[in-house]
Amino acid sequence: MCFTSQFWQLTVAGLAIGSLYALIALGYTLVYGVLQLINFAHSEVFMAGGFGGLFLVRELVGDTAPGGAAAVLITTAGILGGALAGAGTAFVLERTAYRPLRRRGAPRLAYLISAIGASLFLYNLAGKEFGRLAIPMPDIYTSGTVFHIFGARVTTNQLVIAGAALVMLIALDRLVAKTRLGQGIRAVAQDAETASLMGVDINKVITLTFIIGGLLGGAAGFLYGLVFNVQYTMGFIPGVKAFTAAVLGGIGNVRGAVLGGLVLGLVENYGVACASSAYRDIIAFMILVLVLLVRPSGILGERLGRSA
Amino acid sequence: MLDRRLLRLAVPLAVGALALTACGGSSDGESGDGGKKTYTLAYQGPLSGDNAQLGINMDNAVQLAVEQANKKGDLPFTLKFANSDDVGDPAQGPTAAQKLIDDASVVAVVGPAFSGATKASEPLFSEANLVSVSPSATNPNLTSQGFKTFFRVVPPDDAQGAEAAAYMLKGLKATNIYLVDDKSEYGVGLADVIGKSLGSAKFKREGIPITKDYSTIAQKVSSSGADVMYYSGYYAELALFTKALKAAGYKGAIASGDGANDDQLITQAGAAAAEGIYLTCPCNDANVDPNATEFTAAYKAKFNTNPGTYSPEAYDAANAIIQAMKGIDGDITREKVVAAVKAIDYKGITKQIKFEPNGEVAGKVIFVYQVKAGKRAILGTTGELTK
Repeated sequence: MCFTSQFWQLTVAGLAIGSLYALIALGYTLVYGVLQLINFAHSEVFMAGGFGGLFLVRELVGDTAPGGAAAVLITTAGILGGALAGAGTAFVLERTAYRPLRRRGAPRLAYLISAIGASLFLYNLAGKEFGRLAIPMPDIYTSGTVFHIFGARVTTNQLVIAGAALVMLIALDRLVAKTRLGQGIRAVAQDAETASLMGVDINKVITLTFIIGGLLGGAAGFLYGLVFNVQYTMGFIPGVKAFTAAVLGGIGNVRGAVLGGLVLGLVENYGVACASSAYRDIIAFMILVLVLLVRPSGILGERLGRSA
Repeated sequence: MLDRRLLRLAVPLAVGALALTACGGSSDGESGDGGKKTYTLAYQGPLSGDNAQLGINMDNAVQLAVEQANKKGDLPFTLKFANSDDVGDPAQGPTAAQKLIDDASVVAVVGPAFSGATKASEPLFSEANLVSVSPSATNPNLTSQGFKTFFRVVPPDDAQGAEAAAYMLKGLKATNIYLVDDKSEYGVGLADVIGKSLGSAKFKREGIPITKDYSTIAQKVSSSGADVMYYSGYYAELALFTKALKAAGYKGAIASGDGANDDQLITQAGAAAAEGIYLTCPCNDANVDPNATEFTAAYKAKFNTNPGTYSPEAYDAANAIIQAMKGIDGDITREKVVAAVKAIDYKGITKQIKFEPNGEVAGKVIFVYQVKAGKRAILGTTGELTK
C-alpha cells in the first residue's frame, strides 16, 4: 500500500487528531441520544473551550516554557479551563436556544435554525471580542518530541492529546454505564416519557447531558488549540468532522462516536499519503458515504439505550 | 415572561446594530490661499470591507505626503487630498475611478491598490488621460494591457519569484529545495515562477490547499532532506506549517514570500519556531528599514499607529507625483502630469522611482527579511545578497 512507508508516523498523527474528533463527537452523540437533535452549535462550544483554555494558560505561563511538573499542572489547568468554558457555553445554549423551543413543542426544523443561529451568533461574538486573527497557545513544554515508536516521532502535544482524551473517554464510558446520572441519560434516551413517569427529571438530565458534552468538547478545544492555534472560526471544520465521526460510528452511540473519531482520523492521514493532501477531505468523506451505504446506522449502530 | 420576550427581540436588534458599522469621510471644500491654484491628488483603494486595513495603510501615507508637501511651502500650488473607496473589488473599481475622473480638480491618482480593481479601473483612467500610480498592484499582466496612464512603484509578482529562486540558490546555497504552494491564485502564480527560475536545480513541488493540519507534509519535507523549504502562501498557514515542521524535526531553512511577510507570522508560529525564517518581498517595511525612520516617525505622529504594508510605497508614489507636478510650467493639466510622471526620476524611501516605457518601475528591487530574535529584520535586497 502507498502509506506503508510512513505507516507509523501517519498512525500516530491519525490517532492524535482522531481522539480529538472522538471527544467532540461525544457531544453530538450524547445530545442526539437524549433529544434526537443535532446540536449544530456544538462547534462553538469547542471554540469557547479553546479560548477558555487559552486565557487561563496565558495567565499561568510566563515568557519561557515552564516544562517539567509545572507543565503537567498547567496542561491540566488548561484542559479544565477549556472544559469549564465549554460546559458553560453548552449550558447557556441549552437554556436559551433549545429549552424555550422544547417547552413549546416546536417542530424539529425550529431547533435546527435555532442551533445555526446560535452558532453564527457565538462565533461572530468571539471574533468581535477576541479579534479575528489566530492566537497561539503559549509554549508549555520545553521539549517538542517525547519518544519514537517504530521510527515514528511522537510529539509532546500528540501524547498530551491522546492521553487526556483516553482518560476522559474512559471516565465518560464508566459514567454512562455505572452512575445514576448515566442510568438517567440512558432512560431518557430509551423513552423520555416513560422515564419521566418513573421519576427521572428529564430537564435535569438534558441539562447535565449538555454540560457533559460541553466539558468534553471544551477540553478538546483547548487540546486542539495547543497545536493549531485558537481562532473564532476554529470550530467549524473540526465540528463537521466530529459530526461525521459520530454518524460514522452510529449517532447516539457513545462507543461508536469514539470509534468513528479514531477511524476518521486514521483514514484521513492514510489518505493523504496515498494521494495528495488535496484529497484529504475527499477521501475521508468518500469512506463515510461508503460505510453508510453498507451500514446506514453507522459502524456500531444507533444505540444509547435505544433499540436501533 | 415579558422581559424574556424583550431579550429575544433585543438580541437580533443588537446583532443588527453591530453589523451597521458606518464608514465614510470624504474631503470637500475649497482652500485657495494667496492666489495659488488648487489641485487634487487622489487615492483609490479599499477603505471598507475585508481588506480595508491594507487600503488605509496607503490612504494614510498619501494624506501624509500631501500634508507635508503643503507645509514645506515651496509648492507653486496648493494640493488637496481626496479618496475613493473601491473596496478592493473589481466590480466597484470603475465606479470609484469615475468619481475621481468627474472631479476636475483631480490631476493624479495614487492607486488603485489591488490588481483586480486596477485592471477594471485603468481603461477609464486611460481614456480620461488621468495618471495613476499604483503602490501595490503586483499582477504581472497589468503592464501589458495597453493602459496609457498606468504606472506602478512595486515590481510585479514574477520579479519576486525569479529573485526568490536566485536568492535560495546563490544566497542560501540551497542544493535541495522543497517548494510548497497553497493552491491559491497568488500562491500557485508565485510558485510557478520560482519553479521556472530554479531551472535545473533539484527541487520538489507540492500544492497543499489551506488547512490547519500540516503534520503529514511537514513529515514529507523533513524526510526529503531538503535544505530549504519555500512556502508560497500566506502567514496564517505558514505559522501552522512552521510549527508542524519543527515538530517533525525539520532542520533546514524556511523561506516564504510577501504573503507571509507580516508580524502575525511570528505571533502565530511562536517566536521560537519562527526564528530564522526568510521572507522575500517587493515591499519595504518602514518599521524595520533605517531609510524610512523619518517617514515612520511622521506617520506615527499623525495617525498614532505604525505604517503598515505598502504605506512606504504609497508615500513614494505620492511624492514622486508631487515632484513631477512641481516641474510643470504654467497651469497643471492631466496631460502634463502624465508626461511628467513618465519622465520622473525621484529618490524615494523604498527605491529610485523611474519608470520603464510600459509603466513598470525600473530596477526590480526585492527585499529579503529574516526573523531575528522574534522580529523581522531587513537583510538587504536580493541584488545585494546574491552578488
